[in-house]
Amino acid sequence: MSFLKLSQVTFFYPRKLKPALTGLNLGLEKDEITAIVGPNGSGKTTLTKLMIGVLQPAEGEIQLEGRPIAGYSLAEIGRRIGYVFQNPDLQLFCSSVAEEVGFGLTNQGCEPATVEEKVDFYLDYFELAAYRNAFPLHLSQGEKQRLAIAAVLANEPEFLILDEPTIGLDAYRKKLLEDYLKKVARLGRGMLLISHDAPFVNRMAERVVTIENGRIQSDSGRKGNAVYEA
Amino acid sequence: MAEFNRIAGEREMPYMKLDPRTKMVMVICLSSLALIYNTPDRLLLVLAATVGLLLIFRFDPSAIWGYLKPFLSLMLILFVIQCVFTRGGEVLLAVGPVPLITSKGLSIGAGVVLRIVVITAAAMLFTTFSSRDFILGLVQWRVPYELAFMVSIALRFLPVFRDEFINVITAVQLRGVELKKVSWGQKISMYRRLFFPVVYGAMLKAQQLAVAMEARGFRAYPRRTYLRRLNLSSADYVLMLFFTAATLMLIGINFTT
Ligand SMILES: Nc1ncnc2c1ncn2[C@@H]1O[C@H](COP(=O)(O)OP(=O)(O)OP(=O)(O)O)[C@@H](O)[C@H]1O
Ligand SMILES: [Mg+2]
Repeated sequence: MSFLKLSQVTFFYPRKLKPALTGLNLGLEKDEITAIVGPNGSGKTTLTKLMIGVLQPAEGEIQLEGRPIAGYSLAEIGRRIGYVFQNPDLQLFCSSVAEEVGFGLTNQGCEPATVEEKVDFYLDYFELAAYRNAFPLHLSQGEKQRLAIAAVLANEPEFLILDEPTIGLDAYRKKLLEDYLKKVARLGRGMLLISHDAPFVNRMAERVVTIENGRIQSDSGRKGNAVYEA
Repeated sequence: MAEFNRIAGEREMPYMKLDPRTKMVMVICLSSLALIYNTPDRLLLVLAATVGLLLIFRFDPSAIWGYLKPFLSLMLILFVIQCVFTRGGEVLLAVGPVPLITSKGLSIGAGVVLRIVVITAAAMLFTTFSSRDFILGLVQWRVPYELAFMVSIALRFLPVFRDEFINVITAVQLRGVELKKVSWGQKISMYRRLFFPVVYGAMLKAQQLAVAMEARGFRAYPRRTYLRRLNLSSADYVLMLFFTAATLMLIGINFTT
């Protein structure tokens, strides 16, 4: 049984005649790193928004752990799937960097001491410790991106969906992110990456799905070692 | 910007081509009535008239629900506050000797909510013409271009604020917080904590837009010429007169009875 399973999913944006996604079938497993690649506007972001229940399909069904996703609340989905938006501005809403990282933990009832410890760890790892009291939207683009990722990782969800996670990161920070994501994967947590960054996909992904015009063009299936075919 | 146009309208009207200024007068009339009236029955009549107009302009009134939905809890809070803190009329519910809900409180609470609904519905008329026509119309009435432009930008920002609010609500829930199930106290404290960063964030985005506008030459030409002219048809004159006269009359009646 796939962790996330899409069957015959079709989706239209309001007042658009052409569907953004057409008859899509895809299963994602919890023990592999999948990448979705495809040109601008091919429907990658739309697909991930359907997977986390922010958008609902016009036809077809999406199942999370064998149950229809419509039966989960957004918060229930959010506790299972960590989602990093393509635009970090859309998901930063606290008044300080430290609060942002600790937000999920605090609200899920973690002990303040545990929250503090984890916040310190993630701020250190993603080199944001110097900004702990800064206003999130005042950070540079790359810093906002790292903060958005740190805030999602701090919740330690079983599965991660990252929409263009390397955007705006310098080579060194990209390497840090890669190392961390690989570590998360070794802990047995699954991951879906959306990226135009071919070398990144090449180094990270065990499976590459290409989408074009809202349809799956090719699916490499699971590979022993990741090889990226353009 | 595609998002703006989608919401702020650029949609063609197959029939009932009225001047944007006529629709502006209608919005002003309906909103004034909504602000002056304070009884639910009169406000309901204004709402009915507004929905009727929207139907005539082929705007799907069910879309209003989409605009109001994110503010539902705020409206509920307003309603409860008005209900509980307004004294007068019959006591409908009391805790011991303390009256909790009175008929006056209930009517004022309902009035506040209806007023928000009417003004939102009336503002939907703005989405039935393009912002370019709006500016053009105002400029032909000798409103300075900068001012007309600012007003149209302000109108375009309403959907931005709404989208910002929806984004934050979504992001909060995706971080694992059950907003629908928590108690009212927790909900209010959450809104209070998020209010400042969200408003400030929206302002930062507005500021970026303003910089982008200047960079693209806004204010560069003090005298502008226009390709098109909007002409008021006789239907426009009749409707504008009718709406203004009817509104003034209704306001007069409201204050004399
Ligand atoms: N809110 C929206 N309303 C209407 N159409 C939309 C909306 N969001 C996206 N679209 C359209 O749906 C299609 C797919 O968009 P999507 O954002 O999923 O593409 P993408 O593959 O993520 O592209 P990119 O590589 O640029 O991130 C595009 O044609 C886009 O114009
Ligand atoms: Mg995208």
